[in-house]
Amino acid sequence: MSVRVLVRTFSELCVTVGTLIVLFVAYVLFWTGVKADGAMDSQIDQLQSQWAQGSVPAGGGASGGSSDGSSSGSSGGAQPEDRPDQKPPPEADQGDSAEAPPAPPAYQDGKPFAVMYIPRFGFTWNKPVLEGTKTDTLKKGLGHYASTAQLGQRGNFSVAGHRRTYGDPFKDFPKLRAGDAVVLTDGSTWFTYRIADKPYKTLPSDVEVIDPVPRKSGFDGPGRYLTLTTCEPEWGHSHRLIVWAHLDATQPVEEGKPEALRG
Amino acid sequence: MYGWIWRHLPGNTWIRALLSAVLVLGVIYLLFQYVFPWAEPLLPFNDVTVDEGMGAVRGVTGAAL
Repeated sequence: MSVRVLVRTFSELCVTVGTLIVLFVAYVLFWTGVKADGAMDSQIDQLQSQWAQGSVPAGGGASGGSSDGSSSGSSGGAQPEDRPDQKPPPEADQGDSAEAPPAPPAYQDGKPFAVMYIPRFGFTWNKPVLEGTKTDTLKKGLGHYASTAQLGQRGNFSVAGHRRTYGDPFKDFPKLRAGDAVVLTDGSTWFTYRIADKPYKTLPSDVEVIDPVPRKSGFDGPGRYLTLTTCEPEWGHSHRLIVWAHLDATQPVEEGKPEALRG
Repeated sequence: MYGWIWRHLPGNTWIRALLSAVLVLGVIYLLFQYVFPWAEPLLPFNDVTVDEGMGAVRGVTGAAL
């Protein structure tokens, strides 16, 4: 009798654990994607309604320029930015192909401030970019490393995103190639970055890849760069995949979508 | 375990079946709403950054620890 109870209880436990595992896999593979898609859509809606109301960050050129301009004489953009409040001077334009957009105000942690488009990932692919790389932030979109430059500014605008789970935003990351466009908008300006080379595999501790001038990127001087990071291998965390890009063109939103998105 | 629950549910077979379904759905809801979101970050899919919070790392370095 007691053996019977033991065997039955053990079997029931096994069935329960098995069901739990199946449910958890379904949650990770499927449900996080459903939740993330909803969250990303609502972030983009939030941004677009903000932009529609006219609270576009661009107008701050005068105030941002003057406050940042005071420090521009000494060091320029070559200095690494440790603090998020220290922005590269927007008007320092030595040998820079792209025209300097005005400095936007500081981003708020966990809040969206831009939308990213990567035509290589499909013409419907667009994701919100949020400030910060906290776990919760990355569930709602791509995360901007708070210590790196702002969008379109001198320095390295660095963004991290999930490769798998939570909507798989960077699922096709290895398909990126030199010359691919990464287009971002902050509601007032389109920024078109061009990828410099195919993805570079590195270790998680390699924080140099998001330096203002990443040493291994092949860029040889200060400029307006972009770095994307995600995990490698696809379902693991032993390495990271990196791509670098440089700012190729900017245009105001009034002029319509940039070349790269018209495909 | 399941037999014990079944025996302690009130009503006839149909009501018990209905209550069981409600219980199962309730458990799935609790799992998806609370347990799995807690357990999921323990898996490696969240590690997509190169610094694991560089502010903290640099802060520690700055404090000469």
